[in-house]
Formats: sequence, C-alpha cells, structure tokens
Amino acid sequence: MAIEDSWKKLKRATVDRLSKPLGLKREKDKNKEEKNKMRNSNLVGSEESLNSFKERKKKNKSSRQKRSRNEGDKVDSEEVHHFHMKDESDEVDRGKRKSKVLGNKKRKNEIIKETMPVEVDKLHNEWESGFDEHNVANEVEEKKRSISRKKKRKHQKLEKAEVDKVDELCNDVKDIANSKNGKSKKAHKMKKKDQLSSRKDVKLLERRGDAEEDEVYQIFAGDDDCSKGMKKWITEYHQSRPGLKILQQRIDDFITTHEAQEEEARKEREAQAAEGGWTVVVHHKGRKKTTDSESGIAVGSVAQAAVMDKMAKKKSKEVGLDFYRFQKREAQRNEIMMLQSKFEQDKKRIQQLRAARKFRPY
Amino acid sequence: MASEVETYTDPVNLKVRELLKEVHLDYSPETTKYVHDVVSSIKEAIDQIPENLQVLADVASGFVRDIGADKVEFQFKKPKSIEIGGSYSIQCIAKPDVNIDLLLRLPKECFHEKDYLNHRYHAKRCLYLCIIKKYLNLSSSVQNVRWSTFQNEARKPILVVYPAVKLFENPGLVVRIIPTATSLFSVAKLNLERNNVRAVNQGDVLQATPKYNSSILEDMFLEDNTEFIRRTFLEWKELREALILLKVWARQRSSIYAHDCLNGSLISIIMAYLATKSGGNRINNSMNAMQILRVTLDFIANSKLWDQGLLFQPQGGHNISKEQRGTYLWSFPIVISDPFAGFNLVFRMTKNGFQELRGEAALALICIDKCKDGGFDEIFLTKIDFPAKYDCCIRLNLKGNGEVSASGFCLDDECWRSYEQKVLSLMHRGLTKRAKFVRVIWRNTTLDCNFENGLAILDREPLFIGILVSSTEEAFKKAIMGPSPENKDEALEFRNFWGDIATLRQFRDGEIAEAVVWEHKEWERHLIIKEIIEHILSRHLSLSEENICTIVDQLDFSLLHGNGDPKNLLDAFDDLSKRLRLLNDIPLKISSVQPLDSAFRLTSVFTPTPHPLAYEKGVGLKLQKFTSTCIQPLEVMIQLEGSGNWPMDDVAIEKTKSAFLLRIGESLQSNWGMTCIATENDVDVFMSGYAFRLKILHEKGLSLLKRQIGGDQAKRVLCTDKQLFLCGQHSSMINGLHGRYSIYGPVVRLAKRWVSAHLFSASLTDEAIELLVAYLFLNPLPFYAPSSRISGFLRFLRLLSEYDWAFSPLVVDINGDLTPGDKKEINEKFMLSRKGYEENMQNVNPAMFLATAYDQTSEAWTRSSPTQAELRRLMAYARSSVSLLTKLILQDQPDSYRWECIFRTPLNNYDAAILLHRDKMPYPSHLLFPSELNQGRRVVCGNASKLFNPFMLPEDIKGSLDELKNKLMVNFDPVRCFVGDLEKKFPNRFKVWYDSLGGDAIGLTWEKAIKKRERGDTCEEEKDLLDALKAVGEVGKGFVRSIHLLKAPRLS
Repeated sequence: MAIEDSWKKLKRATVDRLSKPLGLKREKDKNKEEKNKMRNSNLVGSEESLNSFKERKKKNKSSRQKRSRNEGDKVDSEEVHHFHMKDESDEVDRGKRKSKVLGNKKRKNEIIKETMPVEVDKLHNEWESGFDEHNVANEVEEKKRSISRKKKRKHQKLEKAEVDKVDELCNDVKDIANSKNGKSKKAHKMKKKDQLSSRKDVKLLERRGDAEEDEVYQIFAGDDDCSKGMKKWITEYHQSRPGLKILQQRIDDFITTHEAQEEEARKEREAQAAEGGWTVVVHHKGRKKTTDSESGIAVGSVAQAAVMDKMAKKKSKEVGLDFYRFQKREAQRNEIMMLQSKFEQDKKRIQQLRAARKFRPY
Repeated sequence: MASEVETYTDPVNLKVRELLKEVHLDYSPETTKYVHDVVSSIKEAIDQIPENLQVLADVASGFVRDIGADKVEFQFKKPKSIEIGGSYSIQCIAKPDVNIDLLLRLPKECFHEKDYLNHRYHAKRCLYLCIIKKYLNLSSSVQNVRWSTFQNEARKPILVVYPAVKLFENPGLVVRIIPTATSLFSVAKLNLERNNVRAVNQGDVLQATPKYNSSILEDMFLEDNTEFIRRTFLEWKELREALILLKVWARQRSSIYAHDCLNGSLISIIMAYLATKSGGNRINNSMNAMQILRVTLDFIANSKLWDQGLLFQPQGGHNISKEQRGTYLWSFPIVISDPFAGFNLVFRMTKNGFQELRGEAALALICIDKCKDGGFDEIFLTKIDFPAKYDCCIRLNLKGNGEVSASGFCLDDECWRSYEQKVLSLMHRGLTKRAKFVRVIWRNTTLDCNFENGLAILDREPLFIGILVSSTEEAFKKAIMGPSPENKDEALEFRNFWGDIATLRQFRDGEIAEAVVWEHKEWERHLIIKEIIEHILSRHLSLSEENICTIVDQLDFSLLHGNGDPKNLLDAFDDLSKRLRLLNDIPLKISSVQPLDSAFRLTSVFTPTPHPLAYEKGVGLKLQKFTSTCIQPLEVMIQLEGSGNWPMDDVAIEKTKSAFLLRIGESLQSNWGMTCIATENDVDVFMSGYAFRLKILHEKGLSLLKRQIGGDQAKRVLCTDKQLFLCGQHSSMINGLHGRYSIYGPVVRLAKRWVSAHLFSASLTDEAIELLVAYLFLNPLPFYAPSSRISGFLRFLRLLSEYDWAFSPLVVDINGDLTPGDKKEINEKFMLSRKGYEENMQNVNPAMFLATAYDQTSEAWTRSSPTQAELRRLMAYARSSVSLLTKLILQDQPDSYRWECIFRTPLNNYDAAILLHRDKMPYPSHLLFPSELNQGRRVVCGNASKLFNPFMLPEDIKGSLDELKNKLMVNFDPVRCFVGDLEKKFPNRFKVWYDSLGGDAIGLTWEKAIKKRERGDTCEEEKDLLDALKAVGEVGKGFVRSIHLLKAPRLS
C-alpha cells in the first residue's frame, strides 16, 4: 500500500511539471481539444523516450522481452489501481505508456521476425515458465513500477530541454494522432448507441474511464443485432427449422418447378429437332436399353443377373494391350521408366533423410 | 555387375551404409593421435604416484565397511601394464558412446594370496583406484574424474576420466580405467562350489558363492578375453560392422541393454562364439553385415544350445568336465563359459533378462521379414524404452529403504540384485496370467556416486517394473481364484499372500474357493491391475503408497465425462432400426439402417447421455437442475429399396431424399410419438433420450459421381452420397476392429482429446485419428499391440511425430483384404500425389496419405487437411508431448499438474488468441482447462449475450412440455458457427485453430507474411491489424470474451 501511495504522489508531481511545456502549446492552438494536445505531446515524449531507450538498449537487453510481453497485463493492472484518479494525469500517463508500447512493439517485431518459425519443442517448458511467471507476477509488477518511475523523470528533463522542437515534432506526428482521434470518435458514437441499450454497460464504461476506449475495444453483447454474433446464429438456427409442413411444401414446390423446367427443356429440344424437319437417328450399339431415359421406367424385362451372365460368357472381342510388338515394347519401357523414377525418388529421399539426420540412431 | 547394381539400388543396404557412417568412429590420424596423447598423459599422471605409498582403509572407509572387508592395507605399487582394450581396440565403437577402455593390470605385490576371501580383493581394488583418482585430479590434462561401475556391479567401481582437451568431432569422449587382476589368485580356489565369503552361511553350513567367485574370475581373465575377441574381430570388416549394428540395435532397447542382460562386450563374445569353431562357424567369411546380424539374432532367439550352455573351445589346455557343466547350469540360468578358465562370462544375466533378450531378437527377425526396407527403421532407429514398450510401468522409489540392504550390501550377490528378484517373483505370483511378461530393472548405480562414502546412496534411482499385459480380457478379470478351502496348506498360503482381502466365495459353477475380488465399473476395470500391484507391494515389501507409482490412470482426467454405459444407446439404436424397417406408410421401404456416429463404436470422447427432453411422448419427465439446452445428434444411415423413379441430377436427388426423410419423420411422429425436427438438409428424431440424425444413401448417386470425375484433386468436393458411403464403410470397419481390441476405444478417445486440446480440430478429422490409432494395432512392430491406454496413446503420438509422411503412404489394412496388387496401386497413387514435391515443398496434397481398403487414394479424410504446414505443427506438438509423457513415466513427478500439461496448450504459440465466454459454451462440462491469458496485449473485450444459456433456466422449466422441447437445440454449436463465420469473412487473412470438444480458446495465426510497405507505415499496418481483430470480435459478438494480440505479423 505504501508503495502505491508514493507512486500516486509521484505521478501528481509529474503532471504538475508536465503542464509547463504544455502550457506553451495551449496558447498556440486553442481550437484543438485539450485532450488531443495532451496526446500529441505525449507522442513526442515517446519519440524522445525512444531515443533514450536506444541509449539504454544494451542495458535493458535482457529484460526487454519480458517487459514487452507483460506490457498488456501491466496496462490492465495499473488501470485497476488508478481508475479513480480521473484527473488529467491519468490520461497523460496512459498515453505515454501506450506510445511506449508502440516503441516496444517495433523492436519486438524485429525479434519476432527471427523467432517466428514455431518452436513448439519447448512448448511444455514454456508453459511451465508461464506458470512460474504468474507466481512472481507481483514481484515483477513492483520492479516495473519503479522502472517506469525512473523513466518518467527522465522524460521530463528531456522535454524541458527540447521544448522548442516540440512544434515541429508535433506536426510530424499529427497524422497518427488524427487517425487515433478519428477512431476514438467512432468509438464514442458506438458507445452512445450502446449506452442506451444497457445500463450495466454504462456503469462499466464509467469505471473504465474514457482513455481506455481505444486501448481495449469494447464489444457489447448486441442481443438486438441480427447480422452478427450469437444473435445471428440463434436466429439462423430457428429460421432453418420452420416445421415439417412448411419444409414439405418447399420441397414440393422445388420439385414441381424443377420438373416443369425439365419438361420445358425437353420440349425445346424436340421443337428444335422438328424445326429443321429432321430427326437425328442414332445407332444404338450393344444391348437394348432397359430403362427409358426420360421417365426412368423399366422398359424391357431382362433380368439384370441374366444380362450380366450373358456378358460374362461372351468372349471379349477387344484385343489385348500386348497384341502388337510395339505395345509390348512400350509397356516394358514404361515399366523401366517407372523403376527409374522410383529409384531417383529413393535417392532423393535418402539425401533428404541424411540431411535430416534420419540415420542417426540417437 | 548384378550384385553391384543390387547393392546400389537396394534401399536397405544404402541405409545401413549411411547408418554405419553416422555411428562409426573415424580413425583419422588426428583422432588416433588425440587418443594416444590422452592415454599417455594418464599414464604419466599415474607414474607420478610415489612407490610404496601406504594405503589404509580410511581412503574409502565407507566402501570397505559396506562390502564387509577386513585387512585391506597395502603398499602402493605401480600398475604392471596399462593397455587400451574394449571396443576402441577392435574399432567397433558405436557413437554416441565413445568410451576408451584402459585396462590397468593390478600389481601382484599389493595383494596377498588369500585376498580372494571376504571381498578383500574388491576393497583393495577400490582403494587402488582411489589413489589413482587422487593423482589424476592433480593432472592438468584431466578435466574431471568420476566414479562409475563395471556392468552396474557396485563392488567393482571403475574410473571415468574426462580429458581437459576435447576432440572436436567427439566432445563426449571419455576414458574408462578398468582394473584387471591377471593371475592374482589361484583359479582352483575360485571354483563355483567354494564359499569365499564367510558371511554367506545357513546355520553352520557355508554356502557356495558362485557369483562372487565369477566376479573375481572375470577380472582375472579380462585381458585374455579382450585379446581373444580382438584376434577374432580385427581382420574381419563385416563382423565388426555387424557388431556395431547389433550394438545400435541393443542400445535402442533399454530393456535389454542392461546389467542383467546384454552389453557391448557380451554381444562381441556371442558373435565371437558364432564365428569360431566353438560355435560351428555359423558366421563365415562370405556373409555381409546384415546377414551376420540376422544369423546372430536368429541364434539368440531360436537356438536350443542355450539350454546346454555355450562352451568355447578351451584355449591352453583347460578343459571342462561334464560335472562342471552340470554345476554351471545349476548355478546360473544362462552359461557361456570362457575359453581360458571356463568360468561363466554371463554370470550376471538373469532368466528374466534372457527371456526379454530372446523376445526382442525374435521381434527383430519378424521386422526384417515383414517391415518395409528390411525393418531398418524399426530395428535401428526406433527407440524402444520402457514407456513405449510396456503396457504398464511401475516406478518404485526405494530411497532410504532399509529393507533392501537389511542383510548387508554384498554377499554372494549384491542386495539390489536380490531385491530385483524378490520384486519379480512377487509380481509373477500376484499377476499370474494377467501379465504376458514382467521385467524388473533397477539401474541403481549412476554416474558420479561417491563410492568412498559407502554404498548406502545406491538406492537413489527408482526401480522399474514393466508389464506386458497378456490380453485385456485377462487383465480386466475381477477375481483371482485361489485353492479350495479343503486344501488347507494351499489355502493358508493363499491367505498369507493376499492378506485380509482374501475371502471364501462360491462361484457360478458351484465351486467354493478362496478368492480375491476387485469390484469396478466397466470403464474402471483397467484399475484392477494397479490395485493388485499396489496391494502386494505394500503388503510384502511394506512400501508406502507414495513410493509406488503405477502408471495406469494418470490421463483419465481427460475422459472423465462421457464414460456412460453405451448399452442404453445401442438398445435405443436397435429399437430405432426396428421401427424404421416396420414403417409402411412411405413409398419405398427401408432396407437397411446403419450407425455412422463414432458414439456407436465407442470411440467418441463423450459417450452421449440420455437427455430428459428427448424421449417420446408419454414418457415421464424428470428435469434435473442442470438440463442442457443443446443435444448432439447421432448420425444414422438409411438405405431404401431400389426404384427407377429417382431423378437424375444431384440437386433433385438431394431434394427427393429430404422429402423422403420428412415423410419418415412424420410417420415416426404419428406412429410412435417421436419428436421430429427438420431443416432443409437434416432430419433429427428424438428417441429414448437421444437425437438421431437420419441420412439416406442413394446408391445411384455413387455412379453419378464417377461420371463427373476429373479436375483438380484438392478442390473437388465429394458429393454427399460418396461421403456417406465412405462414412458407412469406415464405421463398419472400425466397429469390427473395436471388437478385436477392446482397448482401442479408450486410446482413440485420448488421441482425439489430445488433438482437439491443442486446437487441431480443423486440421485432423476424427476419422483420420481413428485410422491412425487402428494402424498402431494392426502394425505394431517393433512392439506388440498396445494393451493399455497410456502405452497406446504414447505410441499414437510417436506415430504422428515419427512417421515419414513426406515419403510414405500409411496403409491401414483393417481386415487384411488388400492384395499385393492393391498395395502396388496405392503406392502408385501416392507417387502421383508426391510428384509436385520437387517443385514445391509446401504444397503437397494430401500431406498425410491415409489409404484404406475403401479409400485407396486417401481422399476421404485427409484430402485437404492437414496441410503441409499444419502437419508440421502437429508433428512438433506430438514430439514435445512424447518427450514430456516419457519423462513423466520415467522420472519422479508426483503432482498431477505436469500430467495435465500434456493436454494444456500454450496460447503464446499463436499470433492472436480469442477467449470465449465459458458460460456460453454449449457443454460447459466438456471444457478441460479454463483458459486465461496474461500475456500479449488485450485488444478487444466483449460482453456475453443473454440469448443463449447452456442450461435450461428455472423459469423455462415451468412451461409445457412442447414449449420445452422447442427450447432444445439440436446440434447448435456457437464455436462452430463462429469459426465458420470467421473463415467466410477472412478467407486468407487468418488461419483459425480451435477445439471442437469444448475448449474456450481459439488461436489465430496470420496466414502469410504481410508485404512490407514503405517505411514509416508501421502505424498504418498496426491499425489495419487492430481493425481486423476488432472485426473478428464483432463477428463473435456476444460470445467473444477477449482477444489478445500476441505477435504482430512478420514483415517481408
């Protein structure tokens, strides 16, 4: 508890000091919302912090990854601790932290690039270590807090020194800030809509504070929105089960139209044939057909078994594939080709196995 | 010419060559020089020891005390000779164990004539080594010196020297210093029948000490025997290669490469026997290495000579009389008498070990005949350790157990060896016919135990018992029948053995007998064997429960739900098929009804339980507190009698089928009061608490398909009739297999659970898993078919991770009805599918080629998934689970958390993870572990919808029955809906990994690396990414709890 208190005090102090350079800016662009400005300046801060980070890179190398991995839950936990501080300081802090996250991310990306191929071999071990981390989470938390405190102090100094540059940098990062802003506006709208729908959510929102909205995107249950999510699935489920009668009706309709179409197509064909005054006569080879192709009704009365029997008895008139000498030769050649290709494949495989150390019994 | 072509094309020879290249130690000038340098530096260091140094017992007082020796002081003299022996001298080293044996001949001056008595020799031998160790440690060329033992015999320690300079190719090279006792004592005094340890007596009669005597004789003739082996092997390349191959074979099998069975030098002795006149020159000069290997294995497995003992032709005037031979066979289970003094070279080998050896040799011979490429992979590359080989492993922790060494550490035999025998005989008596084979091994000496401090520390390693179950039916028997009570002596003995749990019982045939009975429910009967073992071990060895670790039920937690009795379900199905056949108000009669769902063949992870709302009308309704709102339908396939009136195109066929099903449903509803719920595609009926989904197979649809064949293999979608037909074939085949192997079901259930727990539900279909597990039972070599769920599960994982998917099809021949022609065809189809491999390694379809009798082209289950990438991931996961599971079985892991890790999937292996609302899952009890994530960045969080609840709410229950039935949702699964929507919305952006069995986490990976745009656009990209994830959250509105970004996509 003591730590927390001191932490809060420190933060307030930080804000006081911070407001000085910000005051300068406020005079310049009055039109802009205060919040916005805060953000910009923070982004500048982050730029600087990035520089300072580079200087400290070597120092932090070992701890970096861990920190970045924990960044997410850090944000969470600290929110929980400080959500009641509704003054600006909270905003400032969060913005700064976010930009830090961004900085970290960039570097993380680089690291990830190399480690991307999934190394799940350590899978279970990692799990365990994850578990361990959880246990020591509190400790880590403490340390992190002290680290970020230090960082903040440094930022202050740097900022004072480079007040002049602020404006230039400000322009540089304008785009980013704007885009962020746009998003937050959108989120605002969404929020308003949803505020009407559920009261609980309103409470929740208030608790979370304004700043969080573009940090963690909130989705509401949307129990009245049929186009997405749970509501959609349930609606679809019920819609697809309208009852046996209706289904039967639908199928009957389908079959009727289908048959009508078929009939039409047949008529068309006949009409086409009649139009030219010609009827194409096709010679049917082989056995007589036993079913009428149009209606599917059995025409003849030849038992299937009898036909099969007859067919089997009939000597095959077809000439075997090895009748001509060239066929034989070809067959032989094909076989040799097959063998060769198999051999080639075997060789390739052995090479691959060797490369994969598949012959090493240990 | 012919032979040359053959050796070149024959894959076995090629592979053997490659293997030999891998394991053979190259005798290059650098290596030989290095070895020479190391050995001479050791010699130098030993030369530094001052002559006549007085050595007292207190150098290793613990050791001297524990082996019970007296009068051990001597004056140090330099060793008579130091020579390289063992496998290095005959160029038969098989990597990775690169040991150079240095035989150090103990000087006669240090010993008295009678030092063969009462372990004096052993004590002095150890003290001598202590001195050498001390001085070697001073040498700069030596990095470290550690204790080890000669063939795990604690009274015969040896030194292992780690040179300071490492050889580049073989950094693990060590030198072992082995003392020899050439001509120290009189051979006659060490005759088998003599007693040389006075403590071994019964009353006043001294007992013979054959093992003790052999132990000394072994040292006395070690050099001669080494020389003999060297002479046999040196000029014979094929023999040497065969020896290396045999070593590789034996080392892969931890159950035979052990102190009471085989070791490198014993293999060489057996081979030397076969290659000389003594063994009838069974191995001759015209054989190649594989032939020699085969002859040797055949000799080990099948020769009758073992019963009489193998006798070497005596060298140098020594002869073995007939009586002597009799004594040998009486004292030792297996005899190979040495060519010089005629002592037994295999005096450590037990009957148990020898049986195991013969079994393994016989299996290897079968592998050579039956397996692909002459069984190369099975014989040389497959590791056969305890967990994989035995159905049931037991680990006894005997640390600090005083009973082991209660009567002294070393008498004729060592106490640990006697304990092994004791445990073994208990096992045999307790398990009787349940076990096909029991193996007990206690590898109690580890590297680096300090022998100076005594032998009490040698019980730190656990003792292993491996059991091969004879058959599941036998192992699951509830009762052990004893003798009749009239037979008083035997009855008393039985009671003594089993204790209180033995009772007098009358059996069904009227017989009254002593018996022990274990009552268990059907699905818990695998626990019987565990209880028997634990009972007899704790009763007779007074071991406490925490020291007995029986690996039987550790994974059962994953199958806790759905162990219900399948009888209800099968009865319900029988009734249904009867009712269906009897229907006569439909145009065509139903000719056959076949179950399709895996629940009918007992391979589904959750056997469905009857749902109170799914009964027919008129059946009393009892709603429990938690009545599920969802019910899973079970597919049933129907065939109608033939008719010529079917339409000809497939859309119309499907519609007609639906019409038929609706009629059937209506008819069932009106005749039997069964509720029928239908969509345009599916018709479900409720009966006896189950929901059955009816499907019609139309035979003509199959021939319709054949006409349409063509086009891209992968893109082709099988028509419904074909799919149904395959399901039907698969189902009946698996059903048959389940009848043959009753353990098949539980193994499949574990395998399915594992696959989906690691979010591979979309990658590997249930049917494919069933086939993979079926393969384990049908092609078990080099093992026997598994008879326990854990060994079966472990082998499933090993199959998945070790099989050569890229180059071999997996042919599952369930009923043995594939002809050689079929197999050839399968192979050709496989080759065809692999044609594209050279051009594009990534794109091979199917990556996992599963061929069966009903599906020779592997298009049924693995056509489109797993893809090459998914398969690689699967294999990596399987590999890691194999190593964890093996470790858990072999090492002491008392907590269950580690066992759970096999089914816990680390979410940080995904680029983003979606967590779902647990209370919105359709079956919350199916969830194995609730997922939480405290890593990465939480991007989205969502609220739960109020529209869906997995359980009926109290206010719902008050409604009428019909209303309630309407609330029941058949086959509603929000996870499936969500995944389906995601794949529709982001077809190429994400790969979705999910668990279809009730997991609450979904993993996302970026499908491909996003192209790097100009620098400075990273923010834009990130925004893009976040927007995508937000959209993902929107798609799963009301169901998604949170989304975490773990890794940003790769830039390329």
